[in-house]
Amino acid sequence: MQRLYSLVVAEGGQRAGVRRMQILYADSLRIARDTELDQVLAALETDLHRYVAEASPNMTFLHAGVVGWQGRAILLPGHSLSGKTTLVREMLRLGATYYSDEFAVVDDSGNVHPFTRPLGIREDATYSQTKYTAETLGAISGVKPLPLGVVAICKYKAGARWKPASLSNGHGALELMGNSIAVRNRPRHTLQRIQKLVRGAVFVKGTRGEAPESAASILNLLNSDNRRGRA
Amino acid sequence: MKEQEYPRARVDCLVREFGDEVLVYDQQRNVGHCLNSTAAAAWKLCDGKRSTSEVTKTLAQQLSAPVDEAIVVLALEQLAAARLLLESEAPVRRTSRRTAIRTIGIAGVIALPLVTSLVAPTPARAASCLANGRPCVSNAQCCSRRCGVRSGHCHR
Repeated sequence: MQRLYSLVVAEGGQRAGVRRMQILYADSLRIARDTELDQVLAALETDLHRYVAEASPNMTFLHAGVVGWQGRAILLPGHSLSGKTTLVREMLRLGATYYSDEFAVVDDSGNVHPFTRPLGIREDATYSQTKYTAETLGAISGVKPLPLGVVAICKYKAGARWKPASLSNGHGALELMGNSIAVRNRPRHTLQRIQKLVRGAVFVKGTRGEAPESAASILNLLNSDNRRGRA
Repeated sequence: MKEQEYPRARVDCLVREFGDEVLVYDQQRNVGHCLNSTAAAAWKLCDGKRSTSEVTKTLAQQLSAPVDEAIVVLALEQLAAARLLLESEAPVRRTSRRTAIRTIGIAGVIALPLVTSLVAPTPARAASCLANGRPCVSNAQCCSRRCGVRSGHCHR
């Protein structure tokens, strides 16, 4: 056992002036305290995901949205609030297969595995998320690991036109390292897997405007890349 | 002065090759560096035995192309700034990218050296942030970057 979660659930009825707290501990550290059990369970889910991403010895987790398209994975790395989920959702609308809106999970061969938690779509300025499964959005979830096809590093700016620049594999790998959850703890494994991951991949980087234009353009990159490969 | 003329690359970093580029991870500082082909070739020649002139000469032989010493000086400058050379052995000469381009001319045969650096994220910084009102333990977890000390919740 590597980590012990303890949930202390408040019991007893309501009493005036007393707030009954549900408390969650990870080992000896208190990680959540709230009157609502749902909030505490959501914190448990978040912490579990992060802990698995950080501690997994056999996989490298990159913070990225992922879809499958034409038998290859498209990675959309980026920090929180960079618009990964919005772009993933748009790609699903265009027929892509859902792999993740949070983590690209990379194995020793450099293939990308699904991490198909429900998409967390942020609705307003409080950053709160509403969860949707890929199926409720009319898409299907991927099951098989895929080789990497395209990495698109996007920054959202209202009204911007999507005119990405190409990146070399080395610079692309550096960008992926910058979105790796456990690079500080396991740099050797992380770099090995990134090296395998990026072979034959196309990297683009740029500022995007609204999702429909950039999503279609990114999917099309893989179309044209496949055409070049077959030629 | 002798030390400064004989640059030596650090050997305690993790190194991965991506074609003719090199990704170097500095485990002491948790910083990754991407060295383009010219910077990578120059870095590999920094063994503490070759002078800057000898690095230039060897680089020209390896690339079968003329290499101006200003290019090597620029590469060493960037490598030293990225702390990929042993510090006391960094070159004393200073040259800017603009000066190097002026010296060499824009139609140089080899690419100008380029070292791009990125600080490795902590796990908390690399994962998705929490909405306002969600339980938290540190500012880094919250989208607002504010975790209430008493409330234990992210807030505006």
